[in-house]
Amino acid sequence: MLLRYLAIAVIGLLMAVPLLFMLSGSLKSAAEVSQFPPSLLPSVPIWQNFADAWEFLTPRVVVNSFIFAFGVILVQLAISIPAAFALAKIPFRWTGLILGVLIIPHFVPGNLSLIPLYVITNELGLLNTYAGMILPIGGQCAFAVLLFRQFFVTLPKGLTDAARLDGAGWFRVLTSITMPLAGPAMATYCSVTFLTAWNMYIWPLLAAPDPAHRVLNVALAPLASGSNVQISPAVALAGAVIAMLPVLLVFVVSQKWYVKGVAGTGID
Amino acid sequence: MPSVTKRRERGPRARSGTTYRRHDSAVAVAFLSPAMIGFTVFAVLPVLGGLALGLFDWDLFSTPRYVGARNFVRLFSDPTMWQSLFVTLQFLLLGVIPTVLLGFMLAVLVNSKLPAVPALRLLFFVPMIASSAVTALVWAMLYNERQGFVNQALGVIGVDGPNWLSDTFWALPALVIVMIWSALPLVIILYLAGLQRVPDDIYAAASLDGAGPWRQLWSMTWPSVWPTTALVLALQAIGFLSGSFEMALLLTDGGPLGTTQSLALYAYRVAFNDLNFGYASALSMFQLVVFAAIVGIVQGVRRTLRKGGL
Repeated sequence: MLLRYLAIAVIGLLMAVPLLFMLSGSLKSAAEVSQFPPSLLPSVPIWQNFADAWEFLTPRVVVNSFIFAFGVILVQLAISIPAAFALAKIPFRWTGLILGVLIIPHFVPGNLSLIPLYVITNELGLLNTYAGMILPIGGQCAFAVLLFRQFFVTLPKGLTDAARLDGAGWFRVLTSITMPLAGPAMATYCSVTFLTAWNMYIWPLLAAPDPAHRVLNVALAPLASGSNVQISPAVALAGAVIAMLPVLLVFVVSQKWYVKGVAGTGID
Repeated sequence: MPSVTKRRERGPRARSGTTYRRHDSAVAVAFLSPAMIGFTVFAVLPVLGGLALGLFDWDLFSTPRYVGARNFVRLFSDPTMWQSLFVTLQFLLLGVIPTVLLGFMLAVLVNSKLPAVPALRLLFFVPMIASSAVTALVWAMLYNERQGFVNQALGVIGVDGPNWLSDTFWALPALVIVMIWSALPLVIILYLAGLQRVPDDIYAAASLDGAGPWRQLWSMTWPSVWPTTALVLALQAIGFLSGSFEMALLLTDGGPLGTTQSLALYAYRVAFNDLNFGYASALSMFQLVVFAAIVGIVQGVRRTLRKGGL
């Protein structure tokens, strides 16, 4: 048993090493980042790295990242919750068929639709706009619909039936009976989608190449290939920490729901 | 109240509840429409559109010119396509199976209710929350030829490490390691969910029969999580097919000499560097065909093995 603890701790630390390296490196001097053997903690924490990284990334980029992630979440919630409710509670002939179709994108390689998605966004005249970044991702709502539907199905049928008998319309049932109970599904959905959207790189890069719409990962990417030599590695790591901080917070707070949501994908 | 319009019969055991009221259907349509429109335009149309785009010559600005199957014919005489196909297969072969096996073993390892294990488990999930750009940034430093951690550590045991990401031989394995690292958390989570459904009593019986832990792992646990393995295999094959593209774009840009340029990355470049959207779509479609062929082969092999009693 002790051996198992040891194995879990050692392998776990090994998995986390690259990010521990990032965290500690973000406060080191450029020389100390590449020192060997690496020091566990910076000898003198250099907070200036974060100020430099912030200046390099610019607040605009951080705001864009939030607009993009929240935009995707809001669009998906608005269209997915009614749909999920209909698929779970309203008797409808095509429910089975729709559920079958919604599963398909899960098994199509993501890069396949990238080029046509770009073409569609261009045809809609939405390149270099927030709408063009958000709507194409927001429209890919299969995960949200299936997740909420799975949750709504577990709510007792008596609850909605009683309200229906009292003369409440379906919309009333959704807003005043079902939604107030949807907390756990909402937590799961928001944590998973926030992480996914916040971490996106290719799509925001393609949909809005102009600097005014740049998100964090697009701003960081040039540092990965080392093409930006003016930025010291320590400052680059500080930038990575800034980019990761929001998702790290969301993950720590919501990991129970997050793991549930990810484990539920595709199993249904 | 609108009357019952139709009753669907499902054979002798038809459930009496399957009645569809016209009013209900109308509400269902209204509730479903926004989601289905979004889904159709941004999830279904791109896949169908990709197929159609492959039949045209188009730079996005001028009028698309119909060229029939020419883009698809060109695939086979394009040496870069063959190299990219080879790279894609290498990514799949080197990446998918180790990810699945490692993920399975790590999931069994952390599938424990001992105190503090749930907290330690979070360490295993950490790679998942790093974006591809952050992952690339950190690993590029670790892989650095002189100052990187990997080569300095190798230096301690007297090995002169290569310049990982610029070496025609090592760039691909180096990328695969990064991608396995990013992919493991999802695999572990899926296996943890699968393991919850394995009944404990099979182990009690196995222990009585004198099977050791290693034996139990592969002859009891592994077969009983097969449904999860099937799902994980499919998801990881897709992940390495299209994920290899993002990580390669960030870390090596397909180089050196195209040794890390998968079909997905080649298609991306043909589209966005050469503005040849028709040929790029044909490449993407070809990638889908390759993927379907691999799934078919895997299924066939599995069936043959089963028939052979393995």
